[in-house]
Amino acid sequence: MPKLKINGKDVEVPAGATIIQAYKASGQDICHYCWHPGLSVAGVCRLCMVQVEGIPKLQIACNTEAKDGMVVNNNSEMVKETVKWGLDFHLINHPLDCPICDQAGECGLQDQYMQFGAYDPEMAEQKVKKSKVVDLGPTVVLDSERCILCSRCTRFCDEVTKTSELGIFNRGDHSEIGIVEGKPLNNNYTLNTVDICPVGALTSKDFRFRQRVWYLKEADSICPGCSTGCNVKVHYNEEGLWRVKPRVNPDVNGHWMCDVGRNTYKYVNIKNRLLAGKVGRRDSWMEMSPNDATRTAGMRLKDVVDKHGPESVALVLTGQYTNEEYKDLLVYFVTGLKLKNIFHWVNNPEKLNDFDGLLFRGDRNPNTKGLEAALKLAGSKGRWEDLQAGLNGKKIKAVVVAGPEDQSVYPDMNEKVALFAQADNLVWFTACPSDALNGSGAETWQIPVKTHAEKAGTFTNFQGKEQKFPLATTIVPQALTLSEAAEVLAGKELNWALRPKSLGGAKNNYATTERGAL
Amino acid sequence: MFTLSAEGQELVKKELTRYETPYSAIIPALYRVQKENGWVPEDAVLHLSQLMNLPASHINEVLHFYTMFNKKPVGKLHIQVCTNVSCAMNGGRELADALCKRFNVKYDEVSADRKITISRVECLGSCDTAPMMQVNDRYLENLTPELAIKKITEMGG
Amino acid sequence: MQQTKLLSEHYDKPEFQNLDGYKKHGGYAVLAKALKMDPKAIIEEVKASGLRGRGGAGFPTGTKWSFLPANGEPRYLLCNADEGEPGTFKDRLMMERAPHQLIEGMIISAFAIGSKKSYIYIRGEYDYSIACVRKAIDEAYKAGLLGKNILGSGFDHDMDVYAGAGAYICGEETGMISSIEGLKGQPKLKPPFPAVQGYLRKPTIVNNVETLAAVKYIIRDGAAAYRKYGTEKSPGTKLFSVSGNVTKPGNIEVPLGISLKDMIEMCGGLKPGRKLKAVIPGGSSAPVLTADEAMKATMDYECLAQMGSMLGSGAVIIIDDSNSMVDLLDVIMHFYHHESCGQCTPCREGTGWLSKIVHRILKGDGEPKDIDLIKKVSEQMMGKTICALSDAAAMPAISFVTKFRGEFEQHLQKARTTSGGVAHA
Repeated sequence: MPKLKINGKDVEVPAGATIIQAYKASGQDICHYCWHPGLSVAGVCRLCMVQVEGIPKLQIACNTEAKDGMVVNNNSEMVKETVKWGLDFHLINHPLDCPICDQAGECGLQDQYMQFGAYDPEMAEQKVKKSKVVDLGPTVVLDSERCILCSRCTRFCDEVTKTSELGIFNRGDHSEIGIVEGKPLNNNYTLNTVDICPVGALTSKDFRFRQRVWYLKEADSICPGCSTGCNVKVHYNEEGLWRVKPRVNPDVNGHWMCDVGRNTYKYVNIKNRLLAGKVGRRDSWMEMSPNDATRTAGMRLKDVVDKHGPESVALVLTGQYTNEEYKDLLVYFVTGLKLKNIFHWVNNPEKLNDFDGLLFRGDRNPNTKGLEAALKLAGSKGRWEDLQAGLNGKKIKAVVVAGPEDQSVYPDMNEKVALFAQADNLVWFTACPSDALNGSGAETWQIPVKTHAEKAGTFTNFQGKEQKFPLATTIVPQALTLSEAAEVLAGKELNWALRPKSLGGAKNNYATTERGAL
Repeated sequence: MFTLSAEGQELVKKELTRYETPYSAIIPALYRVQKENGWVPEDAVLHLSQLMNLPASHINEVLHFYTMFNKKPVGKLHIQVCTNVSCAMNGGRELADALCKRFNVKYDEVSADRKITISRVECLGSCDTAPMMQVNDRYLENLTPELAIKKITEMGG
Repeated sequence: MQQTKLLSEHYDKPEFQNLDGYKKHGGYAVLAKALKMDPKAIIEEVKASGLRGRGGAGFPTGTKWSFLPANGEPRYLLCNADEGEPGTFKDRLMMERAPHQLIEGMIISAFAIGSKKSYIYIRGEYDYSIACVRKAIDEAYKAGLLGKNILGSGFDHDMDVYAGAGAYICGEETGMISSIEGLKGQPKLKPPFPAVQGYLRKPTIVNNVETLAAVKYIIRDGAAAYRKYGTEKSPGTKLFSVSGNVTKPGNIEVPLGISLKDMIEMCGGLKPGRKLKAVIPGGSSAPVLTADEAMKATMDYECLAQMGSMLGSGAVIIIDDSNSMVDLLDVIMHFYHHESCGQCTPCREGTGWLSKIVHRILKGDGEPKDIDLIKKVSEQMMGKTICALSDAAAMPAISFVTKFRGEFEQHLQKARTTSGGVAHA
């Protein structure tokens, strides 16, 4: 383990580490664009210059191995002057369009210029004209004039997705990022290029011009899109969620996440949500508060159990809830109602083990492993045939379903509603409305529940790794978590003083349904 | 879409195994396209990508990096006049201007009769014979505008 | 003064182009000799000769070879025939007049370093050179001089030509490697250096045409004989490409260390009535010499380095008083702007910036502060990038505006007068 001195501070790094990694490890700032920990070293922005004692020329920290006994600095006048000029070289052909640039507020060029810049640009020539608003594919737009040619996006497509859609064409200051016509940037990871673009050259069609980033808050979360459980940040304001970005976790997702996962914020927003409890059937529904709907459902379930015994009620769970919720709900049903009919609704069994080799898995539930563990603990032996037989034979009088938060990944939604509605009573916890449920012939309780972003909890990913996440924001305050629902079903009162309040999420976030075009 | 002749496709396939990496066949393949078509059209990139099983973006990068590949049509005689230092000192730029005037064509454009394109290029490594120019593959050296015009005319310009 | 013809001895004989003719003049006899030597002894001989790379950098060839890892890993020999440095035309002539001399030098070098495969990377514009070398390689294969078991020595070697397609940067050795690998000709980050990881990440030696041909003569006559030419630190003869304002421009071969004054004389001197103004002694990347400096200069690595310039590729451009230095710098800056590969920011942006400033001055739109700005920008382009193209653009810029500052200032003045006042009113 080499030990070296960086700006006077002792740092120890793993053998083979570079000086820039040593800077990161020591928590000290170093200017850079092209270097990215998840990509190969390009060494082209020439900004991470350091002075190494004993070497006359400045070295780039990203391609210089940290060796034992090295004394390195990037705060000498020589380095500072070089970095200032380096930034000016980056800026001479970069448009000063920050006021209309989507990257403003999270722009590497802005941030680093504030810290290391010259503040007195001497460039007085005509800037090079390049392509604007280039449609690279379904998700990403390019502004070539803003591009500083760091090559992160092309390296990403060459090295990570190995799809090589992007190239840098021409040479010198006429170089431009681009695609070949007929070969758009179209894979499941395209938006990572937007994340790693240090300037406003690559922007997301889904997000551009929607929000100024400094008005957004962010919270850690876990992507609910599949069983990988990518660590993410959700960005939100009082109107709801606006985007999802990856959070580094070398054990799970590295630096990346997929485009499918980025869309998971959409159903969370208010326009797509079930806001009130609905009790009734087909064309006749009565709205009531989620709390009241849950209470009346709880009373009905008790009646059924009293009359027909616990085997007349079935509980169906999907892998879309937290470990804590499974536990609380199962405690009530197993110890409270003595239920044995507990079933795992697997949405797409034939694709369950699919994997794209990077991050995206065929199991589109964030918590299949957690559910399996909870079912095992509860002693569930529920075989799907038993459920079917019980329904066909009218032995099962009531079905309680913790339905999918994201219905779009449940292709069998209609079919399952029809199946469960064979029982006289159907209690369905759901975050979003469903046409299938509205057509249910059973006496049905549709009870709004919270989404992953609105509750704290734990998902167990495909590796069996338990990942805790905090509550990010509250969009539908009246909706319940399954844990809360378990209490209300049991006839208890919720402590309303402790429940999260709305952050104003009732405002209509128009973009949820209208985004996605150039 | 542009496609190579059967013979051209054979050549490209042979080039694919000639070098240690198939990527090395990109430059020879682009040369072949230019030989058959006079210039390299945008859609030739997709054709080569399929033929060679290499990413289109990489082929396009190569195409746009090297100046000898014509990215737009050129005349039958592609006249490239050196205007780098030694030629510039010996009248290379004036020679180029004179040719444009005589053949009534702007730089890098094709003359109305499709016969001529005149470009100014960097050093061609024949500085002792300045000013000089390259017409298609041929070097013409120690030129004056009159001599150059005479030779171009002889070549069918 | 007479030329000292070692490499160019038989340039004037058309038969020297063909294998038979080449053999008549002792061709491939040195190869036969070399194949009986210990490869290490060849490397030692080359080291002892003090041969320095003739492409531009002047790095000692034997030392370069000794950077190769001492293991059985496959290794490549690449001949750099991308000759793109403005003013240089020596390699083209050798490939056209004496292709076998290059091939023989290459096989000897390949044997010395244990390489079984070599490429000659020839710039695409050199259509005729490519044809000559291809033909010579075919002849060599047919005569058992290439391929398996060369001359019964047990040494196998394959050689091929790779044609470039128009990019100055491919003359940079790692840019050339990228180009042969089928990529854009962008230089690679160093370390690793090519001797350790070059072509396809395998150990690779890149040498210039003239360097590899010289190896033949070093092995033929011995290092001591080679050292009889030239100076202590710049041994041997060198091919110089002399162009510009001399009456008999051309390729000449002379021992390193001759005076630049003699060289100009050998090329017929200046045109009547003209005065020497400046000399670019080593290709357009080399800092320019004033007439005074030129008169004192000797053509060897150390003298020119001492004068703050360089021998480079041996392209000597003689500039007389009919030229405007502002105009010439504009031509040179246009060139580097055109040829920057675009990877490293200081070069990509700096070459364009310099070109624009100089062009503006030339067109009469300059401002007094521009001269210092050119210097500042150039200084920040030096030593900051992956390869030396950025330095190659900066060095002439700094030397032109420093050594001919008066002329630049005059130009600004004239611009003001002719435009009737302040340029930017």
